Amino acid sequence: MSTLTDIATVARWEVKKSFSMMSRDVLPVSILLFVLLVLVTGFSAQTGLHLQDGMYDVGVDDPQVAELLASDARFSVYQLDAPLLNANRNSFDIIIIRGTVYSSATDKAAAAQKTLERDYAKYVNSVYNSENDLFAAYPLWIDTQSVKSELTFLSTQSGQYVSAAPRRIAPVPEGEIKNIPTPSPTLAISQEELRQKLVQSNAKNSQISRYTEVLSTGGSSMGDFKTPSQLSPPLPFDSIILVFVFIFPLYFTSQFFMMSIMNERIERKGEILLSTPLRPSSIIFGKALPYFVGMVAICAALTVYIRASPVIILPLVPVIFFFLANALLIGMVSRSFKELSFLSIFFSTVATCYLFFPSIFANVHVISLISPLTLIVLTIQGSAWTITDYLYSTSLFWLTGAVLFYIAIRNFKDERLFSEKRLVSRIREFLSEILSQKYPFISLFLLSVFSIPFVFMVQMMCLVLFFNLPMPYSLVFLLLFSALIEELAKSAGIYTIYARDPPFLTWKNLLLACAATAIGFLVGEKLLLFATLAQISDSVFGSILFLSLGSLWLPLLLHFGCVLIVACCLKIWGRKGFFPGIGIAMVVHCLYNLYFILGWIG
Amino acid sequence: MKSKHLSIIAKKEFRGLFNERTILLAVLLQLFIAMFSSFLMVGLTSMYDPSSLSKYSRSGYNIAYAGNESQLLTHLRASPDFRVYQMDLSTAVTALEERKLAAVVYVPDTLPDAEEPVKITLYTLQNDLQTAIVEVKLRDIFLKYEQDLREIRADRLKEEFVQVQIPKTGSGGDFYEFVYGLLIPLLVFMPAIISAALVIDLITEEYQHETLETLVSTPVTFAEIVWGKVIACEVLVPIQAGAWLVLLMINGIAIRNAGLILLLVTVTSLILILLGTLTALHYRERTAAQFIFSTALVVVILLALALPSNPLNLLTRLAVGAVAGEQWIVLGITLVIVIVLGYLTHLYAVKIGKKHLTD
Repeated sequence: MSTLTDIATVARWEVKKSFSMMSRDVLPVSILLFVLLVLVTGFSAQTGLHLQDGMYDVGVDDPQVAELLASDARFSVYQLDAPLLNANRNSFDIIIIRGTVYSSATDKAAAAQKTLERDYAKYVNSVYNSENDLFAAYPLWIDTQSVKSELTFLSTQSGQYVSAAPRRIAPVPEGEIKNIPTPSPTLAISQEELRQKLVQSNAKNSQISRYTEVLSTGGSSMGDFKTPSQLSPPLPFDSIILVFVFIFPLYFTSQFFMMSIMNERIERKGEILLSTPLRPSSIIFGKALPYFVGMVAICAALTVYIRASPVIILPLVPVIFFFLANALLIGMVSRSFKELSFLSIFFSTVATCYLFFPSIFANVHVISLISPLTLIVLTIQGSAWTITDYLYSTSLFWLTGAVLFYIAIRNFKDERLFSEKRLVSRIREFLSEILSQKYPFISLFLLSVFSIPFVFMVQMMCLVLFFNLPMPYSLVFLLLFSALIEELAKSAGIYTIYARDPPFLTWKNLLLACAATAIGFLVGEKLLLFATLAQISDSVFGSILFLSLGSLWLPLLLHFGCVLIVACCLKIWGRKGFFPGIGIAMVVHCLYNLYFILGWIG
Repeated sequence: MKSKHLSIIAKKEFRGLFNERTILLAVLLQLFIAMFSSFLMVGLTSMYDPSSLSKYSRSGYNIAYAGNESQLLTHLRASPDFRVYQMDLSTAVTALEERKLAAVVYVPDTLPDAEEPVKITLYTLQNDLQTAIVEVKLRDIFLKYEQDLREIRADRLKEEFVQVQIPKTGSGGDFYEFVYGLLIPLLVFMPAIISAALVIDLITEEYQHETLETLVSTPVTFAEIVWGKVIACEVLVPIQAGAWLVLLMINGIAIRNAGLILLLVTVTSLILILLGTLTALHYRERTAAQFIFSTALVVVILLALALPSNPLNLLTRLAVGAVAGEQWIVLGITLVIVIVLGYLTHLYAVKIGKKHLTD
């Protein structure tokens, strides 16, 4: 109970302090800026964003065509006579003579032609939309039905496509044949309603509305019926806007938290706070609480604003937690404002990539579920997701966030907060603090258990990064990087112990330490695998990342062997032996993977 | 203002950056983004342009056709992308669930010249990479069929429109607009934003770490300190932007007018850096200054984008080589803004400097 009171007290202080900091006309200026922001947003929504204006040069001979093209700012349109156009062909990307398009053989011209194609299709549609007989203009409608398959990730990712080779006779299902009701041949919607919706969907052509489409529920307003031209895979860049709308304010608020932690460290201002009987955990949670509440409130306000389901908040909470944990640690390790800025920009770029890139594939592939943002995209689209999906995409955020908070709490004291050391040595000190002197092996074991979520997160990042490279390259890169990441994570503990106290690493202790690390890594790996990642672990990619679930002693031997290599290098050559050691261990790890999992050797 | 003093201050800031290895982080950051943008290029092209995946689709997809016969069946059979089986709907959908088929098409018995439209039902697999490709390929065939039906019903259409014949497009050019119209301006302007944030850090740090008094007691004036920091940040911009251009060119993205682009970015970045300097001088505290500055930054960038021929647009046009002299006008206007802001900053710095001396 007293802990809760403590947290509440610190939270109150924090709020009071940040308001007093804001005194120097920050509030009036920020209100002014906000008003300006609203005005400018309105202005730019009206005039459009002029980023791609005049990219393409087009020459036409017909004023009507020129008028049609001029509606798209991307074209610089020149109206000339046909012979003149022909003579100056090379100074244009596209020329249109007597209604026929001729384009140069460049990439730019190809892009211009594609843009023209889309513009023209829109123009044709707008003409069709005003037809009296809508069903003569749009005689074909397609109703798309999604069918769930049991085999999802496995078959597509291992490079097998649905069926190996086409056969003469029609395929016969193995299972029981389910009765599928014959679809109704009519559209359950009147011509006039349909016309309105067609006009609506055709109007969505400006750059801004292309992005905002995701946010409005408009995507499903056409029902499942589409004309053939509307049938296309979802636009990949739509989720950019989601990142900015939801993640950007979160990133902003966590900056304040970061700064508040940093401020305590400047000129030892936080000494007063540390000298109170409050426990570090109470101080940290108390300081974090107002920011957490603020971030959830911002998300809730945004959700209400875009009229989405409140379920959206659920996947955002772990993201907020993760952001705060990172902000806390960045605030604690950086020596100067510059370092703080760069660390936070770096972190936010990496985090944004991790959140953003998978969600591009929201409608396309299960891999997208590794990002909580995908759940948001799904919610907005009105698709349901399950608790398993939630665990799958958020568990890494919860776990890593919790571990980072723990590390920060253990290190929240005088000698860590007020010392100024290089980044790497600070991180080593932080790790050293959570490795107990008394029970070094148990702490090594626990350290490697808890390093697993981080390893998975980085490896997931690699999976996203290499996923779409052509098949052999993606495997090779994944093989090398996942081995490197694992070896670095495993040896971090032993390196820390060695740096703290080199004589401790006698041969006996060295063996014990390696064993503790290896067992810890194996246990952590299996725990997390069983909990969440079964889907990915069954594919070829998964087998490289996480080793097979089958036998236990082989992976244990591998972990032990690799850590031992690094530890021996450390013992023999000292700290400069660390990186060669990692290199050798990485090679061993790769060979093991190649031999046992892929069977490529022998 | 002595140039020797300015260079002393600028050098001091550079030394700080290198000592902390923060510059290393900045380089890492740029590499990381470059890596991801190449992922975008390779990944998305193969994902959304089915023809680039043609090696997987050589054998064609197995699809089932259920319901009434129509012109569509003929089109599907003629297509090299598909192998069509006429099947019973229930059997076909079950086979689809077992991944023995890529899609199922159901066509009702609506006549081609009927009052009502023809409503086709398309069954595909949920959350599947392949479905996206199959859908794009099916779309072309549906479009053909739609054209057939339109011709049959042509006598019911009244409106006339401007005719433009567009030849069939090959592959390529899909991501041209994304690369030149979004990625390049974004990446090349990022150093300007980073430097503006950096100048705020450098100035507020002197206040918050209380190192300013020592600096002011040296022969260096306050205005010289401020300008030294501005120069340090400004110098970083062309270096980083140049690195971007080189990286992009190594990735096979041709960029025209690279020299002019660097000049434009260097001049434009001064606007942001000077705005940052003014904010930092006013608030003298990082949280407030960074907050106000980033909000102002969004306003400034949005406003700039809403204006035609803004520096970002100019950058895009320079990169694709679609400029005809107007770049000098934009550069001139930008330069005027820079000079005004620079003069304001100088006045403000001198004023604050006097106050610090009397304190």
